[in-house]
Amino acid sequence: MNATPPGAAVGIDGLRKHFGDVRAVDGIDLVIAPGEVVALLGPNGAGKSTTVDMLLGLSKPDSGSVTVFGQAPRDAVRSGTIGAMLQDGALLPDATVGETIALVAALYAKPLPVAKALDRAGVADLVGRRCGKLSGGQRQRVRFALALVSDPDVLVLDEPTVAMDVETRRQFWRAMREYTSTGRTVLFATHYLEEAEEFADRVVLMRAGKVAADGSVAQIRATVSGRTITAVVPGAEVGALRVLPGVRDAEVRAGRITLACVDSDAALRALLTQFPLASDIEITAVGLEDAFLALTAQESA
Amino acid sequence: MNTTYLFLELRRSLRSPRFMIFTVGFPVIFYLLFSSMYANSDPDAKTVLMAGMAGFGGLTACVSTGTRIAVERSLGWQRQLRLTPLSPSGYMIAKAICGMVVALGPILLVDVIGLATGVSLNPAQWLQVVLGTWVALIPFAVLGVLIGQVATGDSVQAIGSATFMLLSIGGGLWFPPEQMPGWLRDIAHVLPSYWYGGIGRDVVMHDIDAGTTVLVLVAWTVGLGLVVMRRFRADTARV
Repeated sequence: MNATPPGAAVGIDGLRKHFGDVRAVDGIDLVIAPGEVVALLGPNGAGKSTTVDMLLGLSKPDSGSVTVFGQAPRDAVRSGTIGAMLQDGALLPDATVGETIALVAALYAKPLPVAKALDRAGVADLVGRRCGKLSGGQRQRVRFALALVSDPDVLVLDEPTVAMDVETRRQFWRAMREYTSTGRTVLFATHYLEEAEEFADRVVLMRAGKVAADGSVAQIRATVSGRTITAVVPGAEVGALRVLPGVRDAEVRAGRITLACVDSDAALRALLTQFPLASDIEITAVGLEDAFLALTAQESA
Repeated sequence: MNTTYLFLELRRSLRSPRFMIFTVGFPVIFYLLFSSMYANSDPDAKTVLMAGMAGFGGLTACVSTGTRIAVERSLGWQRQLRLTPLSPSGYMIAKAICGMVVALGPILLVDVIGLATGVSLNPAQWLQVVLGTWVALIPFAVLGVLIGQVATGDSVQAIGSATFMLLSIGGGLWFPPEQMPGWLRDIAHVLPSYWYGGIGRDVVMHDIDAGTTVLVLVAWTVGLGLVVMRRFRADTARV
């Protein structure tokens, strides 16, 4: 049974994939509407790359389905509907940038003109350069041009800016913005939270092969923002702390408790009422980074 | 097959120093060297040498296809291509065709130099030496693909070089099989390169058994082709 609504750019339904005992992707449902720019976040091993591989037809799901504008991934790749820039894709060192783009363009029925793809990726000045002589950031942008050359409706980027310096990264995202302003759909996996915050309409957080959170950047922040209370509370048990009002999660380590709070005021009042011996109390704000870690951390106990 | 793609592949092949040295340079140099050393006054020996070295260059071009496939695989280029409409089998067919087209280079060049240095054949014999040799390269083009599938980027240079040298020498492209010791001649008969080389040698030796030659070369093509397809299925199932 497929729950993907018609017209979706990407429909992922009950997707699973394991490697031996490891459940790399453990039941993912995700619908991406045309025009959405979605950031895929998660720690290493969360299943991002495996999901991306299945989205591109590079690997087969154990169960579940993936569609790209209603097509099977491999068909979407063949028709140029989906384009991608992966981490480990390589360039031929002996071919020039222009030749490489022309070579891949020649494989599609309706490619962008080579000059246009080069231009959009900001590598027009590198056209005659051998790929073996490019810097890491230049190589990434040439691979971006390769992803653009089929003029895809859906673009998938796996850690696109990982080898780029700050300036190159800015140029890259400027080029991306131009592309997304034409109503294309983008799914990008990244480690940089600020990139997700700045460029994505929507953030999908993965943890241990599952979707841990899914929503706009603001929504994601709301679910995890708040404050953290730490204190020394003799004899406190995690179970009792977790049920305090305003507390999302609790942890006890070496006599010191850590409460992740949605409402730290309510939590503190309740804490002091129930545990009058609480001392050495600190309240800190949760940054997006901590929030990310909190959301993607393995479930403890 | 897409001509733009093929053309760019060809251009890359022609640009590689390895191609210029092994596939074009060696056959030409060895032909000139050996023919001046011991075939100067023997037109038949010169003809056999020309056909042998042309065949050596062609065979090298096809087997070297494997080198390129393995190197490109270790680079990650094939993974990049999997994000395009080009299927893995299409990629390999393109490589094999590319090897065949490139092989025309040394075959024609050695034969033209042969003509210029006094090899005299009638048009039908020329056709046999040039076109016959070229068509008979098909099993070696398939072999090149197989080498590309099984070798790693590190090992493929050694495997490729060993393969084209052993096939060339064992198949009598360097020294006519008549000059081989008996045991080697027995081994030679099993090699596809013996029958492949026989097509060129025949214009002097007149010893070809056309039926057997075709049968052996087709059998090798089919056999290698089956291994390639099997290997190919295993590869695509894994990723």
